[in-house]
Amino acid sequence: MIGGARTAPHPADATQGALPMDPVRHLYVHLPFCHHRCGYCAFVVETGGLDRRDAYLDAVIDEITHRRRELGALDTVYLGGGTPALMRPRRIARLLDAVADITAPDAEVTMEANPESVDAAQLEAFRAAGVTRLSVGAQSLRPHVLSALDRRATPAQVEGAVRCARRAGFRSISVDLLFGVPGQTADDVRADIDRVLDLGVDHVSWYELELKPGSALTRAGTHLPDEDDVADAYEAIVDALVAAGFEWYETANFARPGHRARHNVAYWRGRDHAGVGVGAVGTHGATRRRNAPGVDRYVAAVRDDGAAPHSREALSPATRRREAWMLGLRLREGVDMREVGEPDDVRALDDLVDAGMVHRDGSRVRLSHRARFVGNAVAGRLMDFGA
Amino acid sequence: MTDDTIRNFCIIAHIDHGKSTLADRILQLTGAVSDREMRDQILDSMDLERERGITIKAQAVRVHYTAADGVTYQLNLIDTPGHVDFSYEVSRSLAACEGALLVVDASQGIEAQTLANVYLAIESDLEIIPVLNKIDLPQADPELHGRAVADLIGDDPDNVLRISAKTGEGIADVLEAIVARIPPPTGDPDGPTRALIFDSVYDQYRGVVAFVRVVDGSLRTGDKLFAMQTGLQITADQIGIMSPRMVPVPVLNAGETGYIVTGLKSVGDLRVGDTLTRASHRAAEALPGYRDVKPMVFCGLFPVDADDYPDLRDALEKLSLNDASLVWEPETSQALGFGFRCGFLGLLHMDIVRERLEREYDLELLATTPNVEYQVRTTSGEEIEVHSPAELPAPNSIEIVREPYVRCTVLVPQEHIGAVMELCQERRGTFVTMEPIENRQQIVYDMPLAEIVMDFYDQLKSRTRGYASLDYDLVGYRESPLVKLDVLLAGDPVDALSMIVHKDLAYARGKALVERLQKTIPRQMFEVPIQAAIGGKIIARETVKAKRKDVLAKCYGGDISRKRKLLERQKEGKKRMKQVGRIEVPQEAFLSVLTIQDNGKK
Repeated sequence: MIGGARTAPHPADATQGALPMDPVRHLYVHLPFCHHRCGYCAFVVETGGLDRRDAYLDAVIDEITHRRRELGALDTVYLGGGTPALMRPRRIARLLDAVADITAPDAEVTMEANPESVDAAQLEAFRAAGVTRLSVGAQSLRPHVLSALDRRATPAQVEGAVRCARRAGFRSISVDLLFGVPGQTADDVRADIDRVLDLGVDHVSWYELELKPGSALTRAGTHLPDEDDVADAYEAIVDALVAAGFEWYETANFARPGHRARHNVAYWRGRDHAGVGVGAVGTHGATRRRNAPGVDRYVAAVRDDGAAPHSREALSPATRRREAWMLGLRLREGVDMREVGEPDDVRALDDLVDAGMVHRDGSRVRLSHRARFVGNAVAGRLMDFGA
Repeated sequence: MTDDTIRNFCIIAHIDHGKSTLADRILQLTGAVSDREMRDQILDSMDLERERGITIKAQAVRVHYTAADGVTYQLNLIDTPGHVDFSYEVSRSLAACEGALLVVDASQGIEAQTLANVYLAIESDLEIIPVLNKIDLPQADPELHGRAVADLIGDDPDNVLRISAKTGEGIADVLEAIVARIPPPTGDPDGPTRALIFDSVYDQYRGVVAFVRVVDGSLRTGDKLFAMQTGLQITADQIGIMSPRMVPVPVLNAGETGYIVTGLKSVGDLRVGDTLTRASHRAAEALPGYRDVKPMVFCGLFPVDADDYPDLRDALEKLSLNDASLVWEPETSQALGFGFRCGFLGLLHMDIVRERLEREYDLELLATTPNVEYQVRTTSGEEIEVHSPAELPAPNSIEIVREPYVRCTVLVPQEHIGAVMELCQERRGTFVTMEPIENRQQIVYDMPLAEIVMDFYDQLKSRTRGYASLDYDLVGYRESPLVKLDVLLAGDPVDALSMIVHKDLAYARGKALVERLQKTIPRQMFEVPIQAAIGGKIIARETVKAKRKDVLAKCYGGDISRKRKLLERQKEGKKRMKQVGRIEVPQEAFLSVLTIQDNGKK
């Protein structure tokens, strides 16, 4: 029982509100156009209306110009979607040109790519436009799993895309995959692991399928597989990728040495980031900003006065500290309490250390191998999310 | 000679057989309530009663009715509770009447509780007017049920009235029958005053209001009165009648019913069943039938939030003002912290109190498994009463344990006899008799009350597809080989999960209990062994496996708020859990013991 938790501010929260606002060094740009919405998708996506791409791009560049004061030298740029490749290389080049003067020379510039939307020539053009890292949305290499997810790409297209990307000379190539898909057997997962290792990529994001409100799978009343089966699958994935030389550096991400996704690591370390385009989210100091969905409204509003329609969420010092723990514990190296402050329940931390769930080394706290599978539960123990 | 135009009567009916609707119609037809004022079930003034369709507190309502013979009669309708938990209150209500309307649903027939109350009425020499209600329903069978009701009370089937309280059909006949068949009260109007308290309520402005039937003499405002059983002296601050609202009158004469405003602070001070007499001119003898009501079922009530403990105490104090049968004392549990061990008349009473505490006082409560009162003679010859498993002495210092037994009457259609007998046998019942009643069988068993307090009623209903009805009455204490079954979570005994069980059933119950707990306790970060033990010996074990994974999905900039809110919601969910050592135990786990099945049967 923690007495008086509601009234007395945590000592760690006392000074955080007064930190100076550093310029943002991480930029996310949302490019929402898609040919088709996949079964699990609940992102801000526009299927059809591709004739609005130029107008949308103009608006995105205008929003960046309008918010220029927020941005410092960009360490990372992330082009997500939607299907960014549908913007075609010339528009991606225009976009990256618009931020070229504030992009650091060694910046990581990631673009998401759907395998069926890219060919060799385009990939070379994206590379030439300044994209350094390609994240290929594979999800699976088993036809029936792809079909359960209502994905359009074939396994051959995935392999083709990765091969072409490698030839195009991207610095890092990543693939996205899913586990916990209804109908996906242990053998399916094993087969995916083998083929992913054969692809020779630098980075793998392997996520558990979530039924988000608004996705087709959710509406269809899909049931997720048994907890133990899903846990078995993920343990097999972690073991195999680690054995193949990948670092399990984040709950759902694996990298060969030197190939961590810098942009995403910035999220997990609680760094400020700006989000531009429809539905994009950014966090700057004590404010989280969320752009509204809807391309037409966005374009009109930005054309009007340069400002995208958005909402703001004020983050209290306690909320920021709790988020810093929640995100930081996802990383293999965990958190440094000198940076993120102490947990709400210091005794729980001792208990977790005693139980071998958490390793503590000075001010650094990280999860044990087993605890990394139940990170939410650990974070929930340490931090009083209800307060 | 008492006034021969007075008729005192009550209505005996099973829940949902239409007692309240009939009462409403009588009020309406006699003009006691205007059509404008009429709302459904006006006598059931408490919300909870309305929702549950039962009446907890009796009230007496006076109406005037001009009968076919041209005479205007004073009718006093005395409301009776409809549940076995309150059978003592029923018996006192009946003692205030000369007659009873026996209301039976024309489609359902007689139920066990009705039967029990009919027997009580017959024993009290009441004139019984049989009434079949709901004859407007298509499935009504007035022939069959009319004959059965007539058989039961030894009346002519033609005398069974057929009415529909809903449509109003036949209500006038009911009023005529009350006047014609129920005798006027007898008693000595000039003798020393004797008034029976058949109910009391606490009103925050007036204090305790007692409902009384004046048997002999009279009561006047300002009288100094003396309660003959408790020896309490009170002043009648105000005297009046309910019609149906409180109307002060200067005097209540022999044969009449009404209320007395006493100014007392708690209904516990003035016992139902006691006799009031004038302090200056006392009656020689109290009216018969007084009994001290003792709680039969006990459970621990603990605030989910320990900070609410003082509020829970205040709420119990307030409820006690109006409920003399609720008893409670502080209790400390290692697992659940500070709370109260409470005693109730029965399971329904327990549910009502708990619901009122949660609803009216906005308290979140955790209730432990209910148990009965045990009598223990220790090896040193000491007699003690045990109200919770924790109080049971160590096995080697127990000479004998006695537990309360009830005579349990089940009324069931022929085809379910086997199921009922099987259930009663499983629950340590001893067969007493079986005889046909109407088109059903009445099966009587003597059973330990502790078995009824378990899920007996639910089991009875499910094994007879809802057809069985149940009534029971305490028959005394019997010696039984009882042991304490402990539950250990992660090796530590959890006092709030202990139970007292029969030696022969201990293994099966322990096994069923740990299986049940295994399903109720969610996976935690650590493996949680669940063990059942008797006197330190483990008899059953299950394990809640450690949680192996959370949602291992992506978490990027746009997901952060959503993820945080997910954790906030989880925290909300945990508020419904009790932290027992390292383990989060959901509240329903503490009631698991109630729903364990015997021999793995469904």
